[in-house]
Amino acid sequence: MKIVACIKYSLDASEIKVDAASKQLLLDDVPRKVGNIDKNVLETAVTLGKAAGATVHGLTFGPAKAKESFREAMAFGLEDVTLIEDPLDGAGGPSVTAAVLAEAIKKIGEVDVVVCGEVSDDGFTYQVPPRLAERLGMPQISYVRQVELEGDQLVAERELDDSSQSVKAGLPAVVTVTEETNTPRRPTLMDALKAKKKPVHLWQVDADLGLDKKELAQKATLEQIATEGVVINRKQQMVAGDDPAAIANQLIDLLVKENVITANGGA
Amino acid sequence: MSILLFSENENVARELAAKARTVADTQGLSVAMALLGETAPAGSDFAAWGVDTVYSVQNSLLSAFNPEVYTDALAAVIEQAGPNLVLVGATKAGLEVASRVSERLNLGCASWCVDFDLDAAENSVTARCMIFSGQGTATYKVRTQPALATVSPGVFEAVEAPARDVNVVSVEADIKTPRMTVVQENEKMAAGRRLQDAPVIVDVGMGVKEREDLAMLEELAALLNGQTACTRPVSSDRDWFPEWLGLSGAQLSPDLCFAIGISGAIQHVIGIRDSKIIVAINNDPDSGMFMQSDYNINADLYDIVPVLIEAIKTRAVTLA
Repeated sequence: MKIVACIKYSLDASEIKVDAASKQLLLDDVPRKVGNIDKNVLETAVTLGKAAGATVHGLTFGPAKAKESFREAMAFGLEDVTLIEDPLDGAGGPSVTAAVLAEAIKKIGEVDVVVCGEVSDDGFTYQVPPRLAERLGMPQISYVRQVELEGDQLVAERELDDSSQSVKAGLPAVVTVTEETNTPRRPTLMDALKAKKKPVHLWQVDADLGLDKKELAQKATLEQIATEGVVINRKQQMVAGDDPAAIANQLIDLLVKENVITANGGA
Repeated sequence: MSILLFSENENVARELAAKARTVADTQGLSVAMALLGETAPAGSDFAAWGVDTVYSVQNSLLSAFNPEVYTDALAAVIEQAGPNLVLVGATKAGLEVASRVSERLNLGCASWCVDFDLDAAENSVTARCMIFSGQGTATYKVRTQPALATVSPGVFEAVEAPARDVNVVSVEADIKTPRMTVVQENEKMAAGRRLQDAPVIVDVGMGVKEREDLAMLEELAALLNGQTACTRPVSSDRDWFPEWLGLSGAQLSPDLCFAIGISGAIQHVIGIRDSKIIVAINNDPDSGMFMQSDYNINADLYDIVPVLIEAIKTRAVTLA
């Protein structure tokens, strides 16, 4: 039995800046790393793996230069990480990612559980896990708060907007986790040392997965024609005073001037 | 030639219907809605929604929400209706179904659509979408026919449309027994008044320490006919509220928002950034919220909020 943890070398979206004059998104200097949500992915994957006596394998689609970035992920207890080099450099979008990951999961073989984050740190589309499940013909258990293997079934609690659901599904299945699903472990020095010996395999979509690069490019269903940064234009005025009462009254005066409130009594 | 909409959430479905009606009228298209459930709908229930046709799939498996079952049903409606564009509400359930349907029918899906252009003559759809958790927008041409887009709750405004006759079409869908079964569904405690309708929001962050401190924040909100709301961890870790604000939660545009003890992460701020005026209260002088607010108070919220409440009472402050 194998468990696959899908992770992503992502832009650190909190570091994205916008040039106020041109409204351009400044992406060139934004650092990249394995995503924050991926720690939750790895935690669930290795916990399920331990309970079932399964091996856990990292899988990722991205640039070849990410190869050295998986040490910490490996230290969660992965057997290996397979990095499939993205020939489209991220331009393919969710349909291409799902197609590539699905082929890789078939090639890895005997995969019973695929664990993904509900959403990536940078792409933020929520599309890849359900597309992957559909492509693989698997059920999807999204947004789990708890998930366990009971025999050959996954039993989970999952969270929707207005309700939570107790669900079960046979294997194989796709599971998506949220930042609330678990508290990721902090790998120890021993874990890190053991992880050093574990391999990162670099696969190519054509040579290793038998996918045609041109056909893959045609699977990109969205053509980006423009981007624009959101410029925040707030007054940023500090309201200070000698004591809280002075500050509160000054704030009320300002909000009266803004026409959002009226005050019938003076300070 | 039509715009088809689907949301399992009635409020969101009405928002999508109103926007679809406006665009359809300029392009000579009709508006269709997918209704997936256990029972047959009456067209008269939707007379004021602005939809021309309701495509109804009835099946006992459509009782609890299950992405596999809903995918079978929505895919069947799309194939029968043959729309130019499918709009799906970006609820958690909607995101699952929209993605799965897109994969099955080989459709492009524009996530977090905030506006779109549909040219029926050219048969083209471009969608403007939020990217990087709302720090930017991207405009995409959707290469597939139909195009699909997911739209967050509150992006479009629900409006009452002139009464019209609604045609109900029953769709036969091949719904397979799902491999994930819903054993039990637990409704969350209902939020009170809709947050979207509150003119003032008191937004609670992790800087608020104890649950009983909510009482003073609720008092502040009530004095201005407002509501309290919160960030993701206040809801998901502490469980003080049934829902949160932000990209993965509700997005509001009140006249006045108090951001209390909030760090200012974009994933949250997107839920309040369309407020007319934002007041930030934070004891951290470097709080990121201060760069995204109009009036900033760098002080302990426990010193300021009680005094502010007293001042509001003393000066008989009301909403303008």
